[in-house]
Amino acid sequence: MDTFVTIVQLAIAAAVINNFVLHYFVGICSFLGVSRRIDMALGMGLAVTFVMAIAGLLSWVFTYYLLRPFAPLPAWVWHMVGGDPGVTIDLSVLSYILYIFVIAASVQFVEMYIRKFFPGLYKAFGIYLPLITTNCAILFACLEIMKQLQDPTRLWGLGEALTLSIFGGLGYTLAIVLMAGIREEMDRCDVPRSLRGPGISLIVAGILAMAFMGFAGVDRAIETTFTVLMKK
Amino acid sequence: MSILVSVLLAAAVLGALAVVAAYVLGWANQAFNVEVDPREFAVAAILPNVNCGSCGYVGCGEYAAAVAAGKAEVNLCAPGGQDCARRVAEIMGVGLEPSFPYRAVVHCAARTDQRRGRSDYQGEPTCAAANLVADVQGCTYGCLGMGDCERACPYDAIHVVDGLATVDYHKCIGCKKCAKACPRHIITMVPFKAERMLVVACSNKDFGPEVRDVCEVGCIGCQACSKHAEPMEMAGHLPVINYDAYASADQFALAVEKCPRESLLFIGKPTPADLAAVAEEPLPERVEADFQTTVDDTEWRG
Repeated sequence: MDTFVTIVQLAIAAAVINNFVLHYFVGICSFLGVSRRIDMALGMGLAVTFVMAIAGLLSWVFTYYLLRPFAPLPAWVWHMVGGDPGVTIDLSVLSYILYIFVIAASVQFVEMYIRKFFPGLYKAFGIYLPLITTNCAILFACLEIMKQLQDPTRLWGLGEALTLSIFGGLGYTLAIVLMAGIREEMDRCDVPRSLRGPGISLIVAGILAMAFMGFAGVDRAIETTFTVLMKK
Repeated sequence: MSILVSVLLAAAVLGALAVVAAYVLGWANQAFNVEVDPREFAVAAILPNVNCGSCGYVGCGEYAAAVAAGKAEVNLCAPGGQDCARRVAEIMGVGLEPSFPYRAVVHCAARTDQRRGRSDYQGEPTCAAANLVADVQGCTYGCLGMGDCERACPYDAIHVVDGLATVDYHKCIGCKKCAKACPRHIITMVPFKAERMLVVACSNKDFGPEVRDVCEVGCIGCQACSKHAEPMEMAGHLPVINYDAYASADQFALAVEKCPRESLLFIGKPTPADLAAVAEEPLPERVEADFQTTVDDTEWRG
């Protein structure tokens, strides 16, 4: 039950409270680039969610077994070559290059898959699908997972890592679809000429981000609610 | 020792990953292989990639796919013109009839001061809106001059000059966007067989006095031109040029001479003779700054 509460808290925190786009301001380029129409935005959001889930899964595996301090594989190799047990081999310098590698490979894979089985979606994405490779929201998810694997006493499991990446992706989808809805309505508005295009989009994004600040503290409320429920 | 092991381990990890990823992606490339006609890539490489949509497809890529699949003609690309059509035809291995670049032509020649019966319209400044208002202008066929075409043009090739939409043939690529935007449908696409083409610069279908009442230059339907030029015939009270039979401007010399109004016009890029004539004109001695051109012409109606 305790794990369940933690997962729910983590999911809501990743999707809404600490929304990747509107709280951490990562993934802004695709957030502004593909938020013109709702259907495109939804497709982009789901593709990012999918890639983020794969990248989160792989990065947890690699970080857990290879990159974190006291990771099993380097320790085993160190033991096999007969090194001093007091020294640890830390491969965390590889984190960035490894995550980028993992993300690029999974984007390539997703692109081939979508091209084969969803040609319409592939056509609609155009250049934005390969650009997911450089979507910083995904690298951010990987780095968040790595951050949680630094302290050997409080390690994240695969479940937590997957929750963060999937619900982080869903939060990105939520943000970009909201933005697309607003921008579709805004096409019919008489925007002052000096603000047309990127100007008004950034203002809208800022107001949206401020609105999302209102979710702060919801996770604590959920914890309290669950505690009360369990007591009953 | 520990540094050496770290470096070797890092190299081994990345190397192993590269091999695994290469294997997985190579397998996926074969498993998810999509057959694409190589001619599609060849055609797409030739198309100008302006994605104007004048061929009737969403973009150049989709047109290339349609051509490669044999669903579309090879000569539909207006910006690419004859040269592009010839190269696409070579790739597809089909013959090509000679085609000419289509350019927008405004079938109206009346400037604001030549139109009669114009009301003081103060509504939404678009042709689409003004066209809904009765009596906005005496001539119910002619250009309204609110610039819907100008705003539709992605190439800055059509401008409202003295209340009349005027095409800049140095910039026009024939994408049809202005013709689609015009609510009175007075912009058509004409095959330009020469740099300068003769066009009927009027769309008024009425006869004689009715036209004189509303316009100083409009065609009155006198039939003088169609009697003196073979490729012209009357459609109601308006002459129509049959561009299939159009060979040279000489065919129309007499017709242009006989026209009592200014409805038959040569339009297109200026000829060397025109430029020579303008070259002799004295240049203005002092050029005054024209502040109107720096003023934003889209007004804010908050």
